[in-house]
Amino acid sequence: MGAVTDEYLDHREKEELHLLQAHCVVLVTAVNYTEEGLAPAWGREAIVYNKINEVIRKRLLIDGDGAGDDRRINLLVKSFIKWCNSGSQEEGYSQYQRMLSTLSQCEFSMGKTLLVYDMNLREMENYEKIYKEIECSIAGAHEKIAECKKQILQAKRIRKNRQEYDALAKVIQHHPDRHETLKELEALGKELEHLSHIKESVEDKLELRRKQFHVLLSTIHELQQTLENDEKLSEVEEAQETSMEADPKP
Amino acid sequence: MPGSEGAGEELFPESCFALALRGSWTLAWGLESHPEILRGPNTKMEVFQTLQRLHMTIFSQSVSPCGKFLAAGNNYGQIAVFSLSAALSSEAKEESKKPVVTFQAHDGPVYSMVSTDRHLLSAGDGEVKAWLWAEILKKGCKELWRRQPPYRTSLEVPEINALLLVPKENSLILAGGDCQLHAMDLETGAFTRALRGHTDYIHCLALRERSPEVLSGGEDGAVRLWDLRTAKEVQTIEVYKHEECSRPHNGRWIGCLATDSDWMVCGGGPALTLWHLRSSTPTTIFPMRAPQKHVTFYQDLILSAGQGRCVNQWQLSGELKAQVPGSSPGLLSLSLNQQPAAPECKVLTAAGNSCRVDVFTNLGYRAFSLSF
Repeated sequence: MGAVTDEYLDHREKEELHLLQAHCVVLVTAVNYTEEGLAPAWGREAIVYNKINEVIRKRLLIDGDGAGDDRRINLLVKSFIKWCNSGSQEEGYSQYQRMLSTLSQCEFSMGKTLLVYDMNLREMENYEKIYKEIECSIAGAHEKIAECKKQILQAKRIRKNRQEYDALAKVIQHHPDRHETLKELEALGKELEHLSHIKESVEDKLELRRKQFHVLLSTIHELQQTLENDEKLSEVEEAQETSMEADPKP
Repeated sequence: MPGSEGAGEELFPESCFALALRGSWTLAWGLESHPEILRGPNTKMEVFQTLQRLHMTIFSQSVSPCGKFLAAGNNYGQIAVFSLSAALSSEAKEESKKPVVTFQAHDGPVYSMVSTDRHLLSAGDGEVKAWLWAEILKKGCKELWRRQPPYRTSLEVPEINALLLVPKENSLILAGGDCQLHAMDLETGAFTRALRGHTDYIHCLALRERSPEVLSGGEDGAVRLWDLRTAKEVQTIEVYKHEECSRPHNGRWIGCLATDSDWMVCGGGPALTLWHLRSSTPTTIFPMRAPQKHVTFYQDLILSAGQGRCVNQWQLSGELKAQVPGSSPGLLSLSLNQQPAAPECKVLTAAGNSCRVDVFTNLGYRAFSLSF
C-alpha cells in the first residue's frame, strides 16, 4: 500500500487514498473481531462504511461523470508549469501539443455539460406542461364521472317507470277491449229494445182480445137477463090470466 | 357484558341439562364447532359468551342521523353500535368490525328500531324507549324516556313488532301483538289514536308519503291502509284471497311491506308480489320460494331478504337481477344508509339469524361483516 508515491497526487486524491487505507484497516479489524467472536462486527463496519460512503458520494456529486475532469485541469496546470520550465524545443513542442489537446478535451467536456444542463431545463419545462395537462384531464374526467352518475340515476328512473307501465299494461291486457265491450253492450241494448217492442205488441193484442171477450160475455149476459126477464113476464101474465078466469064465475 | 349474569340462567334449557347429565357435554352446548373452547382452561364467562353469540339473532337495525354509526338490536335485548366510518376506512382493522359500545336496552328482544334526527327509538317487549345518539357512545347510557301504549288488558304485555316514523306529524306509530296501531306524538309523548281493524297481530308497517297513509300487514293476511287524519281504514287488500300469489302451504301471514306511493310490495306466506294500490291488483309475482322477511324499494330495484342466505335484487318486471349471498343462514332485516351527511358510508347492511351484520358496499358482493 505504501509503495505509491505521493508526488502525482493532489490533496483530494490523497484524502481518498487515506480513506481507502482506513477502510482496509477497519475491514481487517472487523475480520479479527469476528474471528475472536466479538459481535456485532458488521455493525461497527457498517458505521464506518456509511461515513466513507458519504464522503465518496459528495465527491461524486461534485465530480459529475467521475472521469476526472478536475484531475485533467490540475494535470494541465502542472504540465503548463513543466512546459514553462522545460528545456529542449521538441519536447516543449510535443508538450505544447499535448496541452492543447488536453485543453480541447476540457472545452469539449464543458460544452457537453452545458448542453446537458440546457436539456435538463427544457425537460423540466416539458414535464411541467405534461403535469398540468394531466391535472386538467383528471378534473375533466371527474366532471364526466359525476355527469354520467346523474345520467345513470335518470336512466334508472326511466327504466323503473317503464317497468311499472309494463306491469300495469299486463294487467290491463287481461281485461277485454273496451270497444268490443261497447259493441256487445250496444247489440245487447238493441236486442233488449226489440224484445220489449214485441212484448208491448203482444200485451196490446192480449188487451184487445180481453176487451172483446168482455164485450161478448157482457152481451151474452144481457141476452140471458133479457130472456129471463121475458120468461118471468110471460109467467106473471099467465098467472094473472088464470086468476081473472077464476073470478067472474060466481 | 352488563347484566349477562342475570340473563344467563334463562339460556340453559332443560334439554342441555339432560344431555349434560348423560355425559355428552360438548353436544349439549353445541361446542364441537368451537374447538378453542374445548382445548384449554377457559373461564365460564368465555364459554357463556361464545354460546350467546352462537344463538344470537339480530332483529333490527338503524342508522344514525349522521350516517356514520349503525345500531343493531338482538334477541337478548342488547343494542350494539358499530362505527361504519371506521370499518369502511382504508386502515380498518379487526377491532373496527366490533361494536363501539354494547348495552342492555330491553328485557326482551329488540324487534324494531328507528332513528329520528336526534334520537334512537327501540321497541320490543311492549315498551318503546328513546336514546340520544349523542350520548349513546358513552358507557352507561341511560334511556331518555320510555312509554308503553295503552293496552286493553293490563295482564298481557304484547310485543311491539314494528315502529314507523311519520315526519310530517312528528309522531310515531307502533304496532304489534295487540292487533292495533298506536299513534304517539313525539313531542308530548301522548298516545293520540288507536287504529283497530286487524284480527291478528301486526308484523310490519310502511308509510305512503303522498297521501299520508300507513300500511300495515299482519298475521291475518290482510294489508290495511289507514288514513291518519281521519283515523279510518281506507283500503283492505286480502292477499291470500288472490289465487296468483297465495301459497296456502306457507300460511297467509304478511311478513314484509314496502311502498312507493302508487305501488306496494308485500310478501311472507303468500309469494312476494308487486301490487298497484289504486286498483288493488297484483301486477308482478316474484318467483321466490322462501318467505321473505324484509323488502324495500331502491332506485329501480326491489331488494328482498328472507329465509335464504342471499339478498335478492329484483327488477319491477319480475326478473331476478342478482342474488348476493350473506353470511347468516337467514336474513331478517335490511338497512340502506342513505344519509346525505355521510355519502362515503353509503352501504347496504343485512342481519339475521346470526351475530353478524353483513356490509355490502356495492350491491354486487358482500364486502365484510361486522360482528357482535
